[in-house]
Amino acid sequence: MLKYTLRRVLGMIPMLFLVSVVVFFLAKAMPGDSLSGEIDPTNTNPEYQEEMREKLGYNDPVYMQYYRWVTDFMSGDFGKSTRYKMPVADLIGEKLPNTIFLALTSLLITYVLAFAMGMYSGRKPYTLGDNLIAGFNYAGIAIPSFVAGVFAVYFFAFKLNWFPFAGSVDIEIDKGTIDYWISRIHHVMLPAFVLGMFSTASYTQFLRNDLIENSRKDFVRTALAKGTPMGKIYNVHILRNSIIPLVTFLGFDIAALVGGAIITEKIFTYPGIGLLFLDSVNNRDYPTVMAITMMLSAMVLIGNLIADILYGIVDPRIRLG
Amino acid sequence: MTTNAATGAVKRTEKSASPWAIARRKFLRNKLAMASTVFLILVIILTLMAPFLAPHLSPIPDITKVNISKMSIPPNGDHLLGTDKSGRDVMTRLLYGGRISLLVGASATAIVVVLGTIVGSVAGFFGGAVDSLLMRFTDFVLNFPFLVFVIVLNTILFGIVDGLWVLILVIGLLSWGGVARIVRSKVLAEKENEYVLAAISIGTPPAKVIIKHLLPNVLSTIIVQSTLLFASLIVAETGLSYLGFGVPQETPSWGNMLAFANEPDVLQGKPWIWMPPALIITATILSINFIGEGLKDALNPKSQR
Repeated sequence: MLKYTLRRVLGMIPMLFLVSVVVFFLAKAMPGDSLSGEIDPTNTNPEYQEEMREKLGYNDPVYMQYYRWVTDFMSGDFGKSTRYKMPVADLIGEKLPNTIFLALTSLLITYVLAFAMGMYSGRKPYTLGDNLIAGFNYAGIAIPSFVAGVFAVYFFAFKLNWFPFAGSVDIEIDKGTIDYWISRIHHVMLPAFVLGMFSTASYTQFLRNDLIENSRKDFVRTALAKGTPMGKIYNVHILRNSIIPLVTFLGFDIAALVGGAIITEKIFTYPGIGLLFLDSVNNRDYPTVMAITMMLSAMVLIGNLIADILYGIVDPRIRLG
Repeated sequence: MTTNAATGAVKRTEKSASPWAIARRKFLRNKLAMASTVFLILVIILTLMAPFLAPHLSPIPDITKVNISKMSIPPNGDHLLGTDKSGRDVMTRLLYGGRISLLVGASATAIVVVLGTIVGSVAGFFGGAVDSLLMRFTDFVLNFPFLVFVIVLNTILFGIVDGLWVLILVIGLLSWGGVARIVRSKVLAEKENEYVLAAISIGTPPAKVIIKHLLPNVLSTIIVQSTLLFASLIVAETGLSYLGFGVPQETPSWGNMLAFANEPDVLQGKPWIWMPPALIITATILSINFIGEGLKDALNPKSQR
């Protein structure tokens, strides 16, 4: 297992290198100085521009510039935001907790709902409840998340007034109090549900089909013949087998949350990394854009790595592949 | 036919139906898929006829001109779906917008299917070093966060090339990984058959083996995949346009129309502006998905329907 994990981690390094090269060249292709953000874009004096370029090393060979950028990036220096005039790392650090909170809530909702609905559907297939859940799943998989999000804001925030329609917390409440956390949870619920809708639907369907398939296996018949109650067979014997593949989806979730967060944060005006990314693109704050691009790409790679490793733990045959 | 096959001993007098004929019959019998097909064809015809329909549907058939006197009128006799914040008829824009959204979806799907099939079949057929090189490259493309890169590439390329085609190209070039993987695995399985060995042994050039012998057997998978892709690439266009990074904003598309929902007062108080595009996107995506599921079912020789 250790060997397999090591091989996977080592296999990720060339991929990370290639992705970072692509991001680097994209950053260079962007107008202005998107690598460090030190050059003032409003000062168009060619002498100043040339002096700054020389000082920041933009006249050096490309590989030296790349090396400098990568080492800076890994030591946490993401350059300076041209819009906020502060280090991009601080800017990201400010917004990241919100996105992580949103992602974790979304994962929690996804797994709780998927378990509840999947268990019910799997135990009572082809009943009314199962069909209703299947209908919900089909909608969850087919309706694009931004359409669902817009409808969710319209009905639940504006028409029913159950949830706030924007922000991550009420600004009037003091930080650290219980009310503050309740307000945060209240703000995060709806976006988290929309963000997790697709995964909820697919996991429910997966769990249902897996439960049905496993319930026809011989060990279930044996347990039944020995007089084990049906409830115990489902909760202990079958679920244990069905849970395993579900856990491996966690890695893919991390990758999917990256793209999902951008859209969801935009719909709900939720101040996280995704909204920062979109605002930075609109305001031509390219150092911030490139730092977030690199960060999200790395997260997708790490998510896939986690998925691979979890697969290896669950299914020993994969380790040899 | 099925009863004949089941009993086995009964003599077959008529010619057995071709796989395509069986698939067609199965598909025609699938009510949900047929209803979806009719709906989709209707949407396509209506959007294609937009220039002819628009003058009859609305007193202001112009889709870009701003009419200050007619801003945000709720649906009425003159404007079946009302007008948007710039005083443009929503119904007319919905028809013209459909052309753009469907065009982007279809063109990007074409790029993805062609690229994915070429990469997948070459990798699967030749195997070895070619295979690992191409598949590593595929992994590499699949590892990009799609949305982030489309937005970044769009910002760089914007202004250099016409906006609509930038979008189609960027979406196409970033999405072929999945098709390549599926085609490769199908080709890998298919090339183990004797007829492929026979074709190679009599000196058929690789390109001909792939095109004439392997691809026809992978075709059903490609058809199903491209249907589902068509749906997800329409979602990509509308989603990107909704975020403001898709089709240039002066061009009406379903996503650009839905982007009005970004303004809280429109979202809350003027649902006629954003609800029609939201509903038509959902209905189109759902119908394409049903067609895809129907095709999958029809082309699967093991399914009973």
